Amino acid sequence: MDPSQFQSNELAQFIAQEKERAMVNEMVAKLTNVCWDKCITGTPGSKFSSSESSCLSNCARRYMDLSVIIMKRFQNMQ
Amino acid sequence: MDAFSSSPSSGSPSQQFSADDFKDQLKNQFAQAYAEEFLETIRGKCFEKCITKPGSSLSGGESSCISRCVDRYIEATGIISKSLFSAPR
Repeated sequence: MDPSQFQSNELAQFIAQEKERAMVNEMVAKLTNVCWDKCITGTPGSKFSSSESSCLSNCARRYMDLSVIIMKRFQNMQ
Repeated sequence: MDAFSSSPSSGSPSQQFSADDFKDQLKNQFAQAYAEEFLETIRGKCFEKCITKPGSSLSGGESSCISRCVDRYIEATGIISKSLFSAPR
């Protein structure tokens, strides 16, 4: 492949986009992993109960809240 | 597999491997890696939930548990994704 086929920073931009996409996917995967364990305590049924689905969406949001608090606390220590 | 090698179906060996080919191959490899990791996670979770005492074969109950588990895990991924990326609170 001839590197000059890429416009000046097209390659850098493309890679940055793919990296961000990968990071988002990883965050969702990680959260689903953790929240599944927290919220789906019994044998999986043929659909989620309403408490299971609200647990899942709450779980993701509270995890993000937690992330913000930890960041702030950490910054205050600097 | 070398990320930079052309597929055999692209014709003459002297044909250039374009920037678009590179981008497509990179995207495909990311997608593939993600899919494999996703499957591996589901395998682990559903084994944990559904096969509590491994017997000499899979029972009907275990098989249907596995099917439900896969569906639920995929659904859970959607719920989490939506709660993160749609209107907050």
